[in-house]
Amino acid sequence: MEKHISVCPYCGSGCKLALLVENDKIVGAEALDGVTNQGELCLKGWYGWDFVNDTKILTPRLKSPMIRRSRDAAFEAVTWDEAIAFTAGKLSEIKKKYGPDSIMLTGSSRGTGNESNYVAQKFARAVIGTNNIDCCARVCHGPSVSGLMVTLGNGAMSNSICEIEDTDCILCFGYNAADSHPIVARRILKAKEKGAKIIVCDPRQIETARIADQWLALKNGSNMALVNAFANVLIDEGLYDKEYVANYTEGFEEYKKIVAKYTPEYVEEITGLKAAEIRRAMRAYAGAKTATILWGMGVTQWGQAVDVVKGLSGLALLTGNLGKPNVGVGPVRGQNNVQGACDMGALPNVFPGYYSVKDDEARARFAKAWGVPSLPAEIGMSLTDVPHAAEEGKLKAMYIFGEDPAQTEPDLATVRKGFDALELIIVQDIFMTKTAAYADVILPATSWGEHDGVFSSADRGFQRFYKAVNAKGDVKHDWEIHGLIAKAMGYDGIDYHSTEEIWNELISLCHLYKGATYEKLAGLGYVQWPCTEVDKPGTPWLYEGNEFQTKSKKGLLFAAEWRAPLEKIDAEFPLGLCTVREVGHYSCRSMTGNCVALATLADEPGYVTINPKDAKPLGIRDQELVWVQSRRGKVIARASVTERTNVGAVYMTYQWWIGACNELTIHHVDPISKTPEYKFAAVRVERIADQAWAEAHVVQEYSALKRRLADAAKPGDVAPAKIRAEPVPA
Amino acid sequence: MNRFIVAEASKCIGCRTCEVACVLAHTGKEDVEALAGREFHPRLKVLKTLTVSAPVTCHHCEDAPCVNACPSHAISYRDATVQVDQSKCLGCKTCVVACPFGAMEVISRPAIRSFAGIVVADGVKAEAHKCDLCIDRAAGPACVAVCPTDALHVMDETRLAETRARRQLRSALEASNVDAA
Repeated sequence: MEKHISVCPYCGSGCKLALLVENDKIVGAEALDGVTNQGELCLKGWYGWDFVNDTKILTPRLKSPMIRRSRDAAFEAVTWDEAIAFTAGKLSEIKKKYGPDSIMLTGSSRGTGNESNYVAQKFARAVIGTNNIDCCARVCHGPSVSGLMVTLGNGAMSNSICEIEDTDCILCFGYNAADSHPIVARRILKAKEKGAKIIVCDPRQIETARIADQWLALKNGSNMALVNAFANVLIDEGLYDKEYVANYTEGFEEYKKIVAKYTPEYVEEITGLKAAEIRRAMRAYAGAKTATILWGMGVTQWGQAVDVVKGLSGLALLTGNLGKPNVGVGPVRGQNNVQGACDMGALPNVFPGYYSVKDDEARARFAKAWGVPSLPAEIGMSLTDVPHAAEEGKLKAMYIFGEDPAQTEPDLATVRKGFDALELIIVQDIFMTKTAAYADVILPATSWGEHDGVFSSADRGFQRFYKAVNAKGDVKHDWEIHGLIAKAMGYDGIDYHSTEEIWNELISLCHLYKGATYEKLAGLGYVQWPCTEVDKPGTPWLYEGNEFQTKSKKGLLFAAEWRAPLEKIDAEFPLGLCTVREVGHYSCRSMTGNCVALATLADEPGYVTINPKDAKPLGIRDQELVWVQSRRGKVIARASVTERTNVGAVYMTYQWWIGACNELTIHHVDPISKTPEYKFAAVRVERIADQAWAEAHVVQEYSALKRRLADAAKPGDVAPAKIRAEPVPA
Repeated sequence: MNRFIVAEASKCIGCRTCEVACVLAHTGKEDVEALAGREFHPRLKVLKTLTVSAPVTCHHCEDAPCVNACPSHAISYRDATVQVDQSKCLGCKTCVVACPFGAMEVISRPAIRSFAGIVVADGVKAEAHKCDLCIDRAAGPACVAVCPTDALHVMDETRLAETRARRQLRSALEASNVDAA
């Protein structure tokens, strides 16, 4: 048996594991003593690798390039030469006819790695000539990056995952670590064991709320009001560090004026919390010698998200909880390499290393390195701009790389309309996803496990992962595919022979990463950027000497007035739908849905969790199938009647393809980060009288969807009789 | 004293990694492929209430109600554990009723029989299904090994004595506090 070092391809915890390989097939995983995971894994790490083996449980691996010559035609398998010529020809034609900004590209925050994201954005900027590149950071921690860039000058976690256990107080805001990052949840538990105070702000009784010293069950959509009230208490009760504020921050007077109104008493009605509770929480936070704020999607997936991120960083600034170990601000990144896709510049406003596209010097330097006369200076389009831009005719082509917007974006009906309006959709992926089924060209890539690379974990840690098995089928590495298309479009600058070659080019161009060489990252190596010199180890915590990375080198205190969620509940749609995560599945589920253990634990149509007080008048019993309907769509889901869910709200996880909650969510975005308000849509839940019909309906719909995708992946070999309908496990 | 699995509810995050490990450990080969097409019957079950998350499983009782109740003497004590001899199990569910922890379950599997070298179906076979402490697994209980928060432990005589001693000390200290007050 061979063992190959890897990094788990799921959440951003960055767990090191070994893939066990027999006869060129992955047969198991073992935990390794990585910096963040210390020999532990969660169920996705232990049992989440068999998707690589093409189990076909949910949807098949893509094994050959395919073209669809018209939207109503079936896919045809073609040679790579033909697929590349077709793709390059179409892209060149659209670029010539409508200009480079009519083309949108994505990076991939998933198993592909940093090198291919570097190449994808180089392709967008140097070959297409546009900054229209984005990644799914847009729909998750985009507001954290936007907010922290302004207040502290760096969009990432200020401190390390390892430090969490040694802090004296954790303020956990809209962050369900047990479901999103079990290995971070473990650090929270260790902190608690070591005596830390745990304060949880979350409408639901999440696992961390269960062990918390204080659980503030705020009303859905009241984040800004609560954060402002926190600041109000710190100032009003004189709990803040006056010397720190005077020396290292700016904007205090303006900030103080805005939060003055938000007394704990004033926000009682907005938040549903008692003023005394709010005061008690801030006394604990300010009283701790070291305190850490952790947040997740409960902060970022709102129409008002960037403001809340800035507000949270304000609490850390007021109390001097920055610039030293075991403190800080922690936007814990969700996907395994969403930090990396951002680090590599798969964003419309920055180059690799976070140089602004508006910075003339940076643009000239990258243009010279990439051998092009100039690079575009206009900030590109965001992923969430796509549906409307396509419908308006501004966007003509989309090159989707390792993402599944037809599952993960809000208001899927609008996404589909956008897709229909595009002239060209290129999908480069490992699975026949719902998005891939829309493509005009499919470019099949190697999977995690089949290639080398570097990931960035949530705390800025670069780690190498290694190829374990050879890819089966006629597939290529992502960076090879971009290189071939570039060449066919007349650009020779994406001609690499290894990921190391790409990495060396990257670190030669970015001072933040300069010292993070492949050699240092070998084996279990862990280098946290900034790492500006080869002989330096990297930076576990930022802002040494309380010097922030803003222009003035000071931290900015910033407050904003609270805004309510856009959609209102009413008699017709009386419940607030909030979309969340569950521990056994990940993202659009193309990976975990093809893992036998994980699919066995949870399968379609997924749950809608509801409080017994809301379920009872509707006549809904636990485990029954129900309809969930919003103004935009209607889906079937299984009711989980639980007191852990607060009254007035229901929760669904976003990975179900039949019970797809994004059919219901609203396309309302934060004005700065363009992140959608996934956390609030008005819905109603309806009982289904005929449960036998409903169960059969789910089985039928699920089988039909799986068959459609399986057929699409097998061009010219459609034999429905061979495809067995699989029952949906209860 | 019989050994058993204890779960620290304060450390459980309800992730069910233990349930998968349990089922895999009893497939004969610890490869996830063995789960395909099988019913999922973990021998420990993660329960979640408003305030508790914790797996529930067999206590391997010293005077076990299931052992006492079984009419076919299929359940017995072995190597400081309580074990079921499946060949004797009738599937009568008396043990399920007897167990105060809800740790016992009766499941049925398609039975097979070899006849002259040919494997043939032979109706269904009932099994009284509960934690066997992975008695045939060299590395010990699989659930304990995989728990990401280290919430599961094997409680044996030594460990139980240590826990008692710690609690006694805590009681003594608390009592002295009461005096002082």
